[in-house]
Amino acid sequence: MTTVDQPSDSTSMPAGPGLDPTALPPERSRGRAASASRLAVGAIAALVLLGLPLVLEAQRLVHPLHILIMICLYATLAQAWNILGGYAGQISLGNAVFFGVGAYTSTLLMTRIGLSPWLGILVGMFVAVLVSLAIGYPCFRLGGHYFAIATIAVGEIVQTLFINWREVGGASGIHLPLLPEAFVNFQFHSSKLPYYYIALAMAAIAFGCAFLVERSRLGYYFRAIKGDPLAARSLGVKITRYKLYAIAISAALTAMAGTLYAQYILVIDPESVLPLSLSVLICLVAVLGGIGSIWGPLLGALVLIPLSEGTRVYLAQSGGGGRAIDLMVYGALIVLVAVFQPGGLVAISRRFRGRG
Amino acid sequence: MPLLEVRDLTMRFGGLVANDSVSLHVDADEIVGLIGPNGAGKTTLFSCISGTLRATNGQVLLEGQDVVGQTPEEICWRGIARTFQIVRTFREMTVLENVMVGALLRASGTSQARVDAEEVLELTGLAHKRHVLGAGLTIAERKRVELARALATRPKLLMLDEVMAGLNPRERQEAIDLVRTAHARGIAILMVEHVMEVIMPISDRVVVLTNGRKLLEGRPEAVSRNEEVIKAYLGERYRAVIAEPPAC
Repeated sequence: MTTVDQPSDSTSMPAGPGLDPTALPPERSRGRAASASRLAVGAIAALVLLGLPLVLEAQRLVHPLHILIMICLYATLAQAWNILGGYAGQISLGNAVFFGVGAYTSTLLMTRIGLSPWLGILVGMFVAVLVSLAIGYPCFRLGGHYFAIATIAVGEIVQTLFINWREVGGASGIHLPLLPEAFVNFQFHSSKLPYYYIALAMAAIAFGCAFLVERSRLGYYFRAIKGDPLAARSLGVKITRYKLYAIAISAALTAMAGTLYAQYILVIDPESVLPLSLSVLICLVAVLGGIGSIWGPLLGALVLIPLSEGTRVYLAQSGGGGRAIDLMVYGALIVLVAVFQPGGLVAISRRFRGRG
Repeated sequence: MPLLEVRDLTMRFGGLVANDSVSLHVDADEIVGLIGPNGAGKTTLFSCISGTLRATNGQVLLEGQDVVGQTPEEICWRGIARTFQIVRTFREMTVLENVMVGALLRASGTSQARVDAEEVLELTGLAHKRHVLGAGLTIAERKRVELARALATRPKLLMLDEVMAGLNPRERQEAIDLVRTAHARGIAILMVEHVMEVIMPISDRVVVLTNGRKLLEGRPEAVSRNEEVIKAYLGERYRAVIAEPPAC
């Protein structure tokens, strides 16, 4: 972290006073230098994010590219969860419902009436918002942990519903028909690169949303609701309405990622897009990274997803099933984070950079 | 028409009657003190007025309109802000952010709210603490933030639930000055307080509750000389204090 910070700092420090000779209060000029250094870090990060996959593609390294896509997908999902769980403090263990709704909506619209998945994404997000409001309205009457428990129950109900719903493929799900490779069809067969860039764009959208939320009235009200709902109400915060805003934003972003998953994997079933384990994993990525902070979900995804994919491949090669083992690794990590650093990886990185 | 008028307010919890047909009023330019021994129903009355509890019977009229049954957020919007006896600072938010949550009620956006909040911080002497997290404050500072946050909602009536409790004499004097500052800005004040030396000189009128009923109300000097009040609550010691000429 420090090695990245230093060069950008040294370039921005002389530039600051040079560009603006008017005496700024020290606080603000320091802020400007910091934001310039942040800009430089951002430029490097953007270059890596956009360029690295091209290198992988040229080297025919398909699996690393797959991992990068998964990191972007889970960073999106975790950020969506973070807006609801991290900022507004409403711990959801049912976000897979919105993921499934997104995946099923766009897929069904494509297979039944031939609608482009790009339009399907929008419809899926809209349906997910409606579902989230239907879930949120009664469940937000429950305080604290009871909300989390209720979301588990809702998630299980929805999964069971889809398993027994013949018209949408029941337990065996839906195989998406192979269409010619084209942007409008959201299918790319010769390379994973387009999927990567779409996943990256989605992650960017999710982070942009979190950024905007954090700086708006929503962000302040979400954190107030998380901090003390009764105090928030007595300051005029309509807490039910703002919790519904939070779950709607979370649902829309999660559904968007659901469509990407369906178009990327090309087969969806209740076991892959609606399980409780997915809801838990989304929550774990955010918690491990650090909830209520904008970079937490990305850090969590950067650590957990390669670990998960890695252990699965490694254990499959050595003859084990692997699926349960990676969950054990998550479990151990979460316990470690909870005990030693409840603020998540974000807090650890702050400590190394010497910031409070 | 009084700013706030409580008419025959009764609050029952099962068999327990916490407030029994209490009536009181606060005029637009008044500081009204609400006193009474522990368990007299002061905080319950506060909760009924601010909408945290729904009164079993009776009316709470704010500028002539009954607000019983409205949510705390609606009542805050109508112009009643309260503090809590046990402070409810947002621990993971800075002092500035705490106050901004209050200011956002009437601000068009966060930048407007920041300007309004800064002004309240200056007024309440918290400006130098603006970037400190709620969790890092002393009790006196938290009570001050609680008050600042309520002020930031631009209330017509400010209800203070024991803002002086747990403060040392100097902090207490600062808090009294703060209440006077708020009052000077045209905000009516209804305050519950246990510290008699505080409430008597500052109040225009005092209402005494015991066992959920209003025992009496009147000017502070009259109340503190009333035999029944002294017996119920104040004790002999306080009579000696009030006999001397008031400090201000």
